[in-house]
Amino acid sequence: MASFLRLISLLCLPILFAVSVIGSVSEGAEEDFSEDLLLKPLPDRKVLAHFHFQSTAPSSRSNSYGRHHHLFPKAISQLVHKYRIKEMELSFTQGRWRYDRWGGFDSISSSNAKPSGVELWAVFDVPPNEVDATWKNLTHSLSGLFCASINFLESSTSYSAPKWSFHPASENMRYGTLPREAVCTENLTPWLKLLPCRDKSGLSVLMDRPSIYKGYYHSQRLHLLSSEFDSDGVDSAIVLDQTLTVVLQPHSHRGTLGYSSATQLQPSWSLSSIFGRRVIGKCSLARSSNVYIQLDRGLMAELQGILGEQEKFAIARASSEGSISNPAFELSANPDRVHMEMSNGYDKHISVLYMFMVAAKYDDSEPLDLRFTWKIPIAWSIPQAPLYVTRFLLGSGNERGVIALQLKSTKPRDQLMPDTVFADSCSLLVRVFQVVPWYIKVYYHTLQVFIDDQRHIITNVVEKMQVSPSKDKVSPGVMEMLLKFPCGLKSAALTIEFDKGFLHIDEYPPDANQGLDIPSAVISFPDFFTSTQFVEKNSSKSPILLKWQGKNPILSYTEVLLVPFTTPDFSMPYNVITITCTVLALYFGSLLNVLRRRVGEEERFMKSKATRKLRVSHLVSKLLAKLRGRQWEPSESQSHSSVSNSKSKLLFKVILVAGLAAAWQYYFG
Amino acid sequence: MYQFYTSKMLFPLILLGLGVLGNCMAYASPSETAMHTNNWAVLVCTSRYWFNYRHMANTLSLYRTVKRLGIPDERIILMLADDIACNPRNKYPAEVFNNENHKINLYGDNVEVDYRGYEVTVENFLRVLTGRHEAAVPRSKRLLSDEGSHILLYMTGHGGDEFLKFQDSEELQSHDLADAVKQMKEKLRFKELLIMVDTCQAATLFNQLHSPGVLAIGSSKKGENSYSHHLDPDVGVSVVDRFTYYTLAFFERLNMYDNTSLISLFSSYNPSLLMSTAYYRTDLYQRRLEEVPVTNFFGSVMETVHTDSAYKIVSRKDYNRGEPELHQVSQHNERTLISSDNPDHFSEPSTRDEYGALRSIWRSLHNKMEQIEDADTFVNYGLVIMLPFLGISMLLSR
Repeated sequence: MASFLRLISLLCLPILFAVSVIGSVSEGAEEDFSEDLLLKPLPDRKVLAHFHFQSTAPSSRSNSYGRHHHLFPKAISQLVHKYRIKEMELSFTQGRWRYDRWGGFDSISSSNAKPSGVELWAVFDVPPNEVDATWKNLTHSLSGLFCASINFLESSTSYSAPKWSFHPASENMRYGTLPREAVCTENLTPWLKLLPCRDKSGLSVLMDRPSIYKGYYHSQRLHLLSSEFDSDGVDSAIVLDQTLTVVLQPHSHRGTLGYSSATQLQPSWSLSSIFGRRVIGKCSLARSSNVYIQLDRGLMAELQGILGEQEKFAIARASSEGSISNPAFELSANPDRVHMEMSNGYDKHISVLYMFMVAAKYDDSEPLDLRFTWKIPIAWSIPQAPLYVTRFLLGSGNERGVIALQLKSTKPRDQLMPDTVFADSCSLLVRVFQVVPWYIKVYYHTLQVFIDDQRHIITNVVEKMQVSPSKDKVSPGVMEMLLKFPCGLKSAALTIEFDKGFLHIDEYPPDANQGLDIPSAVISFPDFFTSTQFVEKNSSKSPILLKWQGKNPILSYTEVLLVPFTTPDFSMPYNVITITCTVLALYFGSLLNVLRRRVGEEERFMKSKATRKLRVSHLVSKLLAKLRGRQWEPSESQSHSSVSNSKSKLLFKVILVAGLAAAWQYYFG
Repeated sequence: MYQFYTSKMLFPLILLGLGVLGNCMAYASPSETAMHTNNWAVLVCTSRYWFNYRHMANTLSLYRTVKRLGIPDERIILMLADDIACNPRNKYPAEVFNNENHKINLYGDNVEVDYRGYEVTVENFLRVLTGRHEAAVPRSKRLLSDEGSHILLYMTGHGGDEFLKFQDSEELQSHDLADAVKQMKEKLRFKELLIMVDTCQAATLFNQLHSPGVLAIGSSKKGENSYSHHLDPDVGVSVVDRFTYYTLAFFERLNMYDNTSLISLFSSYNPSLLMSTAYYRTDLYQRRLEEVPVTNFFGSVMETVHTDSAYKIVSRKDYNRGEPELHQVSQHNERTLISSDNPDHFSEPSTRDEYGALRSIWRSLHNKMEQIEDADTFVNYGLVIMLPFLGISMLLSR
């Protein structure tokens, strides 16, 4: 028992020490960690859970500890220093973000809706000629760190260097995706190991692997921003943002099985019902540990329509009782703070954020288990990006096809397009960034633009375009476009034709029969930003709120396209059948040739032996000889010497073939 | 080539005949005297697709076992050719089971897969064994063993006579494996190596091994199939292979301080339960199996030497692990175990003679064909064209 206690104290010592260090040192260039969880009901009866962990480390120059760290993961800081990373983002995603149902105009959808598989981009602070080598080494390091095949991005056919359409600071940038990379526990665990509390305490306790991977969408992201190599490194630091976004289906307890009906009650949920776990306490190393519940603008607009004036007031105020309750919904705990979005001029609807601090009052006996219970059926629509984007393939066959990109107007709310007058001057700018692997040979001259089903001249629509065509087995094709559409646009479509290339047999993946992927295109709207300002300014320390207050660009990713390819049949029976049939065909072909062919000689032979009925018996005996594999002695006496001379040579050949056949039969039969 | 092999085989035999000392001198490499330093495990699942769930489950079961018995994650190279835990077909996301009772989630919360998906290729496998990596490859993906390492190499998948398929698109042949092991030996990458293979005709994969210190066990002999154990109706596919199932059944009873010997593991395989005959090859291995605890390969039990003062060099003496448990051998006399003291090398010369005879026939035929100088060249060409095809087919059917 004593030794056990000693062990416990030993284990706790570093934590205590770290806490005391944090406590003693005043605000300044210190390492910092904070954790947040955002929960948000979604219109399609699902719940969004968004974890946000932020670690910051001061610059190694100002840090008195040199290259040692208390809270900041050392692996990441080594990565930053070794590869001189200015900014990097790595995301692992499974599932597809539904922009129409889960929103497309908030900071979560713009920064956490990611293409399925792995996406990695990085900006380096190295001379341009070293960028590729650094990128290669980085992919290998990350692949070791996160148990994923990110090292496949080292090949020059799989990454590209976007110039301006993907990210504003695109100098020395590399971008690559692996659409078919599996994402599972082995990727989450090393990601969690970067947190100071791992998944042992704090909000990350909720990450029960089966519940997370049961969801409709999960995206784990790591964003790294370093100003370590800036020349004016006054407040230089490394900021590491780790987010995990999951869309889960809460279990509906009231038997509301219907899915489509909008009049039905939304499912109620709690932390324990969606994760199977509860929050016992905060991570003691975290500066702040908050849980938020967000009601988005669309939902608030609906609620304000339903509820009376008095009740509206109730929504926005933390009550003194143990729970917050109004005719629409009930929250099991009283929020510590309610953040109202600052109303901007265009929209009277504002979103509300309830904040719950994970404080010392929660423990094993009384864990934090937030419950959200709906009382009235409600249906709402979530804010959308100006255009809803889909991408698909046209054409049939294994030779060529067409990639089509369709943009549909989502009839944006008035605040999105302040001047919705359909004037000539009003325009909607759209940026498209598309990487196409080399085996999809795109004909860039075939680009066509349709606006409201009318074909338009490209130069009227395309403001700026940059294309770097693919090189076979060297580099992928990259297309960057800035499109300018009129404001009154209902729908637009871009089509471009391609041929499917041939791959070498070694270049096919083992499951080539599934088809090959074209990575997602990235669509962004340079005129639009999402930025949520809250009325209370004093509480803006939380990383989620800070992130929301910044200007976030509106991005959306299209689907990954699956292109069926002509594939060789790799199976062994097929190969064996092919080679055997070839050998047999050649064997019997030449045998028949030998048996049947009589050039010139046959004429003479026929003439001389016309009277005799030799031919049939001749053939039969030859065949017999072939079957027995014995030498065939002609029974007849040779009357004509010249004929017999040539005949014997012919016979010898026949016997030779027969011997071969017999040998074949003997050894391989 | 043939002569080289025979001399290589005969050399130790002669020395054995000369005296006891000879055997030690024959392999007088530094590894022979090296102390057992650490344990490594290379666990490979070579099959893709959902219906090969059981191969992933086999490998993960072994992964769990060796981790439980003390090998840390950084000394385990786990290669899984497909993702089944988060496969859309898996009813239990992020969980893998090797038994229909679903008691043990093999995937757990802390699994480290080093090579997965398309990365599981013959090339990468051989690179891991031989240590010939690109400079950028991280340490977690390398087998950083040394001359005192004990390595467990476990492989499962679909195989056949002297080959093992990787992802249904390429094969590892017994020659490749033997060559890699030989390179490892030359590069002092192991002291002792246990190769465990669960595949059809697994024993044939060991035919070409010649390196000392290698112990090999396969789930089936030549001409035998290895079968799956049972089907889980919830998962919908077979979840474990028989050989691995009984291996695990053996290990579930053990903890890391057990002294159970390898022979009791090897003799625990019952051919009637396995529906194949477990074959093990010991002729390259110097120690007696009765004296080798299973934790020498499947666990990492380091011998700690207590010293009274710090930094005092203590000469290491042979450490007896006590009486090996032999009771299982005696209990199961009826089990037919195939000892590999006489490996199948006797058939080799005769086949080679056959090839020699064939070649002479071909040569004489060829000479005869040379003699024919008739005008009917068309026929001759046809015959000449046939010859390479016959040669190819001969190679194929060998």
